[in-house]
Amino acid sequence: MFELESQIRKWRAHLRSTGSVGAQDLEELESHLRDSVEELTAQGITTEEAFLVSLRRMGDAEALSHEFAKISTENLWRQLLVPAPDEGTRKRQRLEVALVLGLVLLAGLLGKIPALFGFGVVESYPLLYLKNAAIFALPSVAVYLIWRRSLPLPFVLSSAAVFAIFAVVINLYPSYAPHHTEGLMAIHLPIVLLLFLGVLYGGFGWRRSGVRLDFVRFAGEVFIYSVLIGLGGLVLISVSVTMFKFVQIDIGGLTDNWLAIFGGCGLLVVASFLVERKKALIESVAPVLARIFVPLFLAVLLSLIVAMAVTGRAPSQDRDMLIWFDIVLALVLGLVLYTMSARDAEQPAGVWDIVIIALLVVAMIANGIALAGIVIRLSAFGISANKTAALGENLFLLLNLLLLTICYVRFFAGRMRFQAIVDLQMRYLPAYALWATIVVVAFPPIFRFF
Amino acid sequence: MRVMTIPKDLVAASAIPIILAILRRADSYGYAIIQKVREVSEDRLTWSDGMLYPVLHRLEAAGFIVSYWKVAKTGRKRKYYHLNAAGATELERLKEQWFVVHNALERLTGSTEAGE
Repeated sequence: MFELESQIRKWRAHLRSTGSVGAQDLEELESHLRDSVEELTAQGITTEEAFLVSLRRMGDAEALSHEFAKISTENLWRQLLVPAPDEGTRKRQRLEVALVLGLVLLAGLLGKIPALFGFGVVESYPLLYLKNAAIFALPSVAVYLIWRRSLPLPFVLSSAAVFAIFAVVINLYPSYAPHHTEGLMAIHLPIVLLLFLGVLYGGFGWRRSGVRLDFVRFAGEVFIYSVLIGLGGLVLISVSVTMFKFVQIDIGGLTDNWLAIFGGCGLLVVASFLVERKKALIESVAPVLARIFVPLFLAVLLSLIVAMAVTGRAPSQDRDMLIWFDIVLALVLGLVLYTMSARDAEQPAGVWDIVIIALLVVAMIANGIALAGIVIRLSAFGISANKTAALGENLFLLLNLLLLTICYVRFFAGRMRFQAIVDLQMRYLPAYALWATIVVVAFPPIFRFF
Repeated sequence: MRVMTIPKDLVAASAIPIILAILRRADSYGYAIIQKVREVSEDRLTWSDGMLYPVLHRLEAAGFIVSYWKVAKTGRKRKYYHLNAAGATELERLKEQWFVVHNALERLTGSTEAGE
């Protein structure tokens, strides 16, 4: 049975993947294609034939995107500033820019709160700033999303409550050397709050897996934008410090304690704004990045396993080891999620899915080897906050990868729809929020704030 | 009868005045423009449909036409193009150029035929 809708979706996805055809252009071309199909079917041929003829008439996608590229590349960035067609939208856009600037200011001011209590110098209190970083930067993003989605009061109140509660908890808990539980809070709080932002991102639809997948994509794109802007900021800061040194003025304190704080805290809201406002720009970059790094990661993990097998050297008892394996698993999960978000769920299984399965399996094997060595030693040395947290994460991630592998294999065997994998994975996401919340809220008292 | 096909270069060169001329009659959208070209050229001037859009965008960037979205009765969104004063001037200019070429050919070939 020929399915016009899914065929059109595929064609759109293909054109979009070329990167040069914008959202508006796609809309226009699709409208054209539909007109053409409609007219041809009206003349009595089947929908499938009509679609094929229309495609042929539309012309080769490569040539088409090439033509579009010629006219669009020079003004991709300018499109950010192009005024909207009607006055109402223009007003809202101006308001949005003003709001974002205000929110950057808000984030920066939150970041200066410690200075009120005499903790103004970032360098002297790194852990304090680190564990509060999410509390400084993310409320602005929350406000922006609430405004953007026009969310009603319950969302506003619950966000205020969430941020307030966590701010109080992490700052009122005592912390004794070697400050392990405090460090854990610094790592896990951003995970909790990020996933909470997912609720705001989705609004009333936050339970739907499609919406959650959109949020995953959003988070990834915000990350890419933040890295780009952050790099620019670093260059700006180092250049200005050096230039002022030439005129014998030391602005190091100013840049570190003011510029870096305002820039660092405001970065995320600016990136969120850019992602929301100009989706098409990065949309084509992220899947490409995922495609580049999936095979590379696979190669690295494979060689790691080979190295462990050949040297016979099991991973050492170093507790950093487990943390590093957590990071590897999280990265693998991120790559798989990203590939997932860029994939058309209707597309049948292909070579690329085999690569994903291979990556999942290899990651689990490498982790399994490391884990086996570590669990034995852990039991000998007793438990600590860090080890328990790392082990917990590892189990959550491992279970996640295992589920994904089973699903992918079933999908490959034709016994599962791809959409079902997405649904399952998206239902799994809150588990991370749960575990991270436990680490932030319950670990410090359990481990006596050490 | 064998349908006379027109070489690509000539099609490309004639595209702009033809599009402008169609838009001078009334605002129109991509699909309808293509249909109109087919109709008036009796199917001899054919482009791959998609190529029309980059040309339209270029004309818009040059300030000859302006676009706006309109929802059709069927509920489909269509991007309409409207010829403005600058576009009308441009059309006159291009038309003159084509007449020069046309007249030159006519004079040459016309006189040859008359001479034989």
